[in-house]
Amino acid sequence: MEVLNNLYNGFQVALTFKNVYLCFIGCLWGTIVGVLPGIGPLAGIALLIPATFGMDVTGAIIMLAGIYYGAMYGGSTTSILMNIPGESASVVTCIDGFQMTRKGRGGAALFIAAWGSWIGGTLGIVGLMLLAPTLANFAMKFGPPEMFAVLLVAFVLLGSLGKGSFFKTLPMILLGLLVGTVGMDPLTGAMRFTHGIRELFDGIGFIPVAMGAFGIGEILVSTEESLVREVFKVRFRELLPTREELRASWGPIFRGTGIGFIVGLLPGSAHVLASFLSYTMEKRLAKKPEEFGSGRIEGVAGPETANNAASESAMIPFLALGIPTGPAPAVMMIALLIHGVRPGPLFITEQPQIFWGLIASMYIGNVILVILNLPLVGLFVNLLRVPFRILFPIILLICLVGTYSVNASTFELSILLGFGVFGYVFRKLEFDIAPFILAMIIGPTLEMAFRQSLMRSAGSFSIFWESPITMTLIVLSGALVLWNIYRAIRPKAAWEKALEEGE
Amino acid sequence: MRYPFKLAVVVGMLFWMVSGVSLAADYPTKPITLINPMPPGGTLDLQARSWASIAEKHLGQPVVVVNKPGATGMVGAVAGAQAAPDGYTLTVASVNFTNAVEWEIANGRKPPFTYDDFVYLGSFTMSPTLVIVPFDSPFKTLQEFMAAAKAKPGQLSYCSGGLYGMSHLPIEIFAKATGLKFRHVPYSGGGPCLSAVVGKHVDSAFQYPPTTIPLAQGNKLRILAVAGARRLKSLPGIPCFKELGIDAEYYGWVGIAAPKNTPKNIVEKLREVTKKVAEDKTFIEAIEKPGDEVYYLHGDDVLKHIQKEAKVIAEIDRELAKTATK
Repeated sequence: MEVLNNLYNGFQVALTFKNVYLCFIGCLWGTIVGVLPGIGPLAGIALLIPATFGMDVTGAIIMLAGIYYGAMYGGSTTSILMNIPGESASVVTCIDGFQMTRKGRGGAALFIAAWGSWIGGTLGIVGLMLLAPTLANFAMKFGPPEMFAVLLVAFVLLGSLGKGSFFKTLPMILLGLLVGTVGMDPLTGAMRFTHGIRELFDGIGFIPVAMGAFGIGEILVSTEESLVREVFKVRFRELLPTREELRASWGPIFRGTGIGFIVGLLPGSAHVLASFLSYTMEKRLAKKPEEFGSGRIEGVAGPETANNAASESAMIPFLALGIPTGPAPAVMMIALLIHGVRPGPLFITEQPQIFWGLIASMYIGNVILVILNLPLVGLFVNLLRVPFRILFPIILLICLVGTYSVNASTFELSILLGFGVFGYVFRKLEFDIAPFILAMIIGPTLEMAFRQSLMRSAGSFSIFWESPITMTLIVLSGALVLWNIYRAIRPKAAWEKALEEGE
Repeated sequence: MRYPFKLAVVVGMLFWMVSGVSLAADYPTKPITLINPMPPGGTLDLQARSWASIAEKHLGQPVVVVNKPGATGMVGAVAGAQAAPDGYTLTVASVNFTNAVEWEIANGRKPPFTYDDFVYLGSFTMSPTLVIVPFDSPFKTLQEFMAAAKAKPGQLSYCSGGLYGMSHLPIEIFAKATGLKFRHVPYSGGGPCLSAVVGKHVDSAFQYPPTTIPLAQGNKLRILAVAGARRLKSLPGIPCFKELGIDAEYYGWVGIAAPKNTPKNIVEKLREVTKKVAEDKTFIEAIEKPGDEVYYLHGDDVLKHIQKEAKVIAEIDRELAKTATK
């Protein structure tokens, strides 16, 4: 019962008026940076670090953590309503979320996203609280070969993303890989496709590409349709999910929590991977996978839960060992260092009031966020009533300001606009944008993990079957490929034929 | 009037120069921008922000930090070098300047800026790296580690937070000074590299004190030596390279620079402020709490230090560039 005792002490720290207030500010700011495309949790935290200089450590970390997990709540809003990913973890939410908005179910999608986020977030904290040291040691065992195996599975699953046929998805994956290759090769320093342009040395940023291809592309397509776009009228009753939608969401929410929590332990862009894996898993488990991409609630519930669970477990290596495995925990760690607290393996035992205060505040924060976000659903959906000729320039402006605010780079603005045209053209040609974006994120990490493994083993491929995790996952990805081939060539059952003819 | 626009520009410039001179007397009269060529949230960023918040008090004007990351700091450095030399745009200078410039030269490219594009106002840290191995590694001392590396050249591996960066070059300098050979596995960032050492995916690394010391205290890794000429206050029991007879030095230093041609009196004023900040109690606390040490260098000495380290880095980079293109 030590845990309960510790948690009780934690709540005593977290429930002081000041700490609840700071938690609220963090969650509010997190929701805002999550909603605004461009500014993500990373910039959101970094911007507020100087504001914490006068605070005590516990209050500071409570507020900064609030920004971090709060951003995962806000990220879904623009994805669902406007087809612009609010931050990187919400790319897959665009696929079905935006289609739900077109059908007038945007409110329900937002509601489920908030609800799933709350469950994923809260269960994630339970895991963090009970298992932090064990899981942190497990995460350290995860070296380049294991990482490569996980990404390989993800990569095989990429092919089944999107509503189009495999042959419409493949070119987008290849294009994504190509764009992801640009920049300095992190392992040899060779320049790839940079053409001497210094802004390209670090590669093409994810934010301008995603906002351009999704956001600007969407705007261009919409203006072409008509400036007086039909307004998605929503009555209050329709904001709430129907009974069927709620029932359909339970499975994805719990599976999303599991996937998100495990994937969150991995280094790097774990949120993106978590939401993407959850989406493809739901699509595989669905009775009618072909309906994905036309507005299934499962495609919102799963990923939006997974990224919240991932954001909790991504804090485990940082809190239990003092090793930040992702960019946002790294910034939080530096905030702690500035306050003279050095997170490390002894952090939890030496600074229990900070650790347990933070844990308790995260429970409170998740409740604050769900209370904050549910009424906002009505407000956000009302934004869609704004005439499109007014909404359109505002979205454009937000995309431009959001991109510029991250690196103060005009070059990224041209990337944004360039990929806006790209998104428009490929949407007209009926290609999906999501596989392109995800390939661009997964490709370079996959390559890096593969080559790091070989560098470690001095070129011997045996490194890939030395660990049981690696071997299992590589076999799994092989099986997935074979299964896909089998499904494509097997004789179709009578009912499937009937279904196809019926369409 | 054939060139009305050009004439207007010239006249405007004249006025601007005159006004610049008059402004220099009672500098500063408006907020100062401090360009940080590194992304927000890193150690360097926070040290720069601490500097800015203390310098404000001495300057009587706000100092606003603007992050302009890209191309390992070159984008921001170029912006800083090309800014108007009026003392209202300063740049965070660091060892990354030298890393980037020498790497460009080693690869046969013209560096986008040179060390002489700046006048240095002073630096305030000079951190050595620590030689670390996993906690249950067989190596208890640096000598044992070196003996093993000598017995199996190119077999022991190390990780870095990025190619040609602040945690890659110190090992290469060490390897060159001792004639040893190691296998390099680059990671993207200091955190992932530390986790590779703790998880025993590599045999060693050279990393900076703030993140490393707590892990050693928690028995997750072992510190063998300080890769520099002096011991650290926070690690009195760990020997430094100089004592062990190894001549390999590389420091992560951070300082402030202004564009060249900045008026003399402004440079003097800023140098004075930089020194005052380095002696400020709050500033020292902000640097030392995370485990770093304040180490002040006068502006002229910063340039001397850069020239010294540039020679060492240039030699290393030339060899690395050769093997990379092979």
